[in-house]
Amino acid sequence: MNGRERYETLPILGALRFPGMVHASTIRSTVARAKNFSLPREQLPTGYIRVIAADLAREETDLAYADDFPLFAVDSVSYKGQALGLIIGPDPGLCDELAKAVRAEYDEEEPEKEWESFSSSQIACRYAIEYGNVDFAFSKSPRKERSVYRNGIFDHDYSEPMGALANWEYDKMAIYCASQWPDQVRKAVAAAVKVSEVDIVVRPTHLGRSLDGRLWFPSYVACQAAIAAKLCRKPVKILYTREEDFLYTLKQARSAVTIKSASDDDGRLQALDIKIIINIGVFNPNAQEIVHQAAAAVTGIYSCPAIRIEAYAIRSNILPLGAMGSIGATHAFFSIEAHLNHLAKLAGKTPAEIKTINMLSKGFSNFGVHPLDSDIPFAKFHKKLEMISDYRRKYASYELVKKRDSGSRDGIIRGIALTVGYQTGRSFSGKLSMNAYNVETTLDRNLDLVISTQSSIASENLRAMWRATAAAALSIPESSVHFASPNSDTTLPCGPLTLSRGASIVNKLIERSCRAIQKKRFRESLPIVAKAQTRISRDSALSSGASLGGMLFDSASWCGTAVEIEIDRLSGEPQPIAVWMVIDAGRIVKKELALSSLRSSIISALNLCISRDFDPEKPEGQYLSHGQLRLANLPFIGIEFMDSERTTVSKGLGELPFLTIPAAFHSALTQALGVEPRQLPLSGSEILRLLESQ
Amino acid sequence: MIIDITVNNVLKQVQARSGDRLVDILRNELSISSLQPDCLRGSCGRCFVFMDGRLVHSCLVPAFKAKGSTISTYEAMADSADAREILLAFEKAQCSPCAFCRTSKVMAVADLLARNPLPDKEEILRQLDMVSCPCSDPVSLVDAVGIAAEMRNKRKFNRADK
Repeated sequence: MNGRERYETLPILGALRFPGMVHASTIRSTVARAKNFSLPREQLPTGYIRVIAADLAREETDLAYADDFPLFAVDSVSYKGQALGLIIGPDPGLCDELAKAVRAEYDEEEPEKEWESFSSSQIACRYAIEYGNVDFAFSKSPRKERSVYRNGIFDHDYSEPMGALANWEYDKMAIYCASQWPDQVRKAVAAAVKVSEVDIVVRPTHLGRSLDGRLWFPSYVACQAAIAAKLCRKPVKILYTREEDFLYTLKQARSAVTIKSASDDDGRLQALDIKIIINIGVFNPNAQEIVHQAAAAVTGIYSCPAIRIEAYAIRSNILPLGAMGSIGATHAFFSIEAHLNHLAKLAGKTPAEIKTINMLSKGFSNFGVHPLDSDIPFAKFHKKLEMISDYRRKYASYELVKKRDSGSRDGIIRGIALTVGYQTGRSFSGKLSMNAYNVETTLDRNLDLVISTQSSIASENLRAMWRATAAAALSIPESSVHFASPNSDTTLPCGPLTLSRGASIVNKLIERSCRAIQKKRFRESLPIVAKAQTRISRDSALSSGASLGGMLFDSASWCGTAVEIEIDRLSGEPQPIAVWMVIDAGRIVKKELALSSLRSSIISALNLCISRDFDPEKPEGQYLSHGQLRLANLPFIGIEFMDSERTTVSKGLGELPFLTIPAAFHSALTQALGVEPRQLPLSGSEILRLLESQ
Repeated sequence: MIIDITVNNVLKQVQARSGDRLVDILRNELSISSLQPDCLRGSCGRCFVFMDGRLVHSCLVPAFKAKGSTISTYEAMADSADAREILLAFEKAQCSPCAFCRTSKVMAVADLLARNPLPDKEEILRQLDMVSCPCSDPVSLVDAVGIAAEMRNKRKFNRADK
């Protein structure tokens, strides 16, 4: 075991207590933008202290989490809810009360709320690419269409509110927090308290459901806890209340995608001019990745000879916004699918017909290079989905009802739609730390295998899949496969465990390292140790269409999704009735676990479509009223795997519901309403308004 | 105020402040670690206790209301045959509730099976809806409760129904 501790479940941050531990609550700004703020000195109860940036000036700390994002506001305030300081004391409830009671004084300024028409100072990241002669194609094409698709802000609804605990362990500082990227927490905390990275140990706590919302924010809270622990020489825990977590932590970014298309009389695309604007709120260190992923996904699975894409990450004076589920690709994919449906309607064709004539095919590519080596399995998925969902009959029936009672709210208001999409393992980040994954496996004398990787913070389902992979490679029982604690001092640094892509990389590494052990197993004495690592170095600038085109379908998993919905006649709320998915994600290691994970992801993705848009201007009162599917009210979910026996390679599948369900849901909504909504989610009242507008 | 309360078969006297909830005194005064209060609005179900035999959200019970009552937490049932069977059923159905909701889901299932040894799908989903954690998928949850019911009935009535 090399002194490493095995574990079954990680501790829960909320349940952790250490002798002498104190709690810290965040003092938050009550305005969105201000200068020269000051906090009045107030008498605090004995044992309680207040920490603000000014108090830390003499300490060996770095208060800049990033150049433009301080751990505590220094002079100016950039969003409502920004951390101004901490109240530290023994009772968490009293700390919360004292922190809420602080009234800061500000020179208030007009916040920058506008993001769709932004100023140059708001641009956090820009990416532009052009292939073919777009302007010429527009001048020659008979049909030109322009539409804007928007999506709202969505809460991740984490399993545990955001938090971190900093504790002293001899000469090191131990950080306990639930992060998808423990190595990044270590780096950030070391920089914040100005020590070497080896002096910081990250002990991950139970992650629960994170949906890519815990990529960086936990390290921000961990830095605050570490600074507080350094200042008061005691273990310090920061654990947000559920309401605080809802109001002030990272959410899915708001976006607007403008698609201008030129097409011929048959509806065949001649040119696409696309502008993607993603509002990242006040800050997001992964803005570039989000923008690149969106740009890569926005052409979908369709072929076009001339493409211009301009993508922006825009700052505004609202809370930090970022990835959810698929790191920017969801918004883009939903937009192009909606636009194709729009073109179908204009051309008098069905969505499937217009998609088929625009489909990328073998030997072709959107950017002139890296032609596809096989056809996109659109027809195969479509046929299968049509069969299992009874699509053709239902589509025709709902069209008939709609034509007879256009705009009526008396009969059933239903819609059904299909979409085919893909998930890739592409990463555009130039940061090596984001792409480097390490796994070490040890087969000990008892024939027990210990897998050591920071990615073992994963869910029990993922670990069960990795366990099965290792057991199969070494022909040992799954019960003999264990995981070492993913502490940063005993495991090698690893990239982030995102919803799906990190998981499939780690699965490959585990398989590779187990095979290395298997080769040595009967020649060398036990224990045998094997390591496997991956390092994907990419050009972070993605300067040409060639570099983007080459990565469009990198290790793609494919899926077809059908969604059937019904609109409540009284409230207008859309209710999903059924979801069918047909998936080709290579070899499925554990079918039951894959099904279980997919069903959970499908429910989360449906929530994206039905929940209320979070309004950062008036966040109060929205807590627990944003609408979620309840267990007792779930739709039918049918999932089938295709061709999983034909290959030995496993690919990611966790993001597939997030990519395809919003697109299919929107399409079904369009059929049900008879008009095209241009945004998701839509509230019941907005849907009723659309119905009445006919 | 001082409150007499029987927690897990032991009579305790605890100091409570006005405004304290039952979950506060159980966690802070009696260090009951299985409770993971989260929403404090009776929505998440992570603070379930049996109060005089009824499953309640301890975050919704004012501390003074618990005076003289008998409280049973997950710690009291952790070693019981009921809890062992439910956990085994979760495993058999390949349903793995996360560490945040596992104890609440076990308590919710135990409560359901005590009231109805043969619950149908709707009853199961309605009961588990009280624990709003999206970690486990509904199909395997329903399967798990079915397996747990079968094991329980076999043990209690020496019969395997369904």
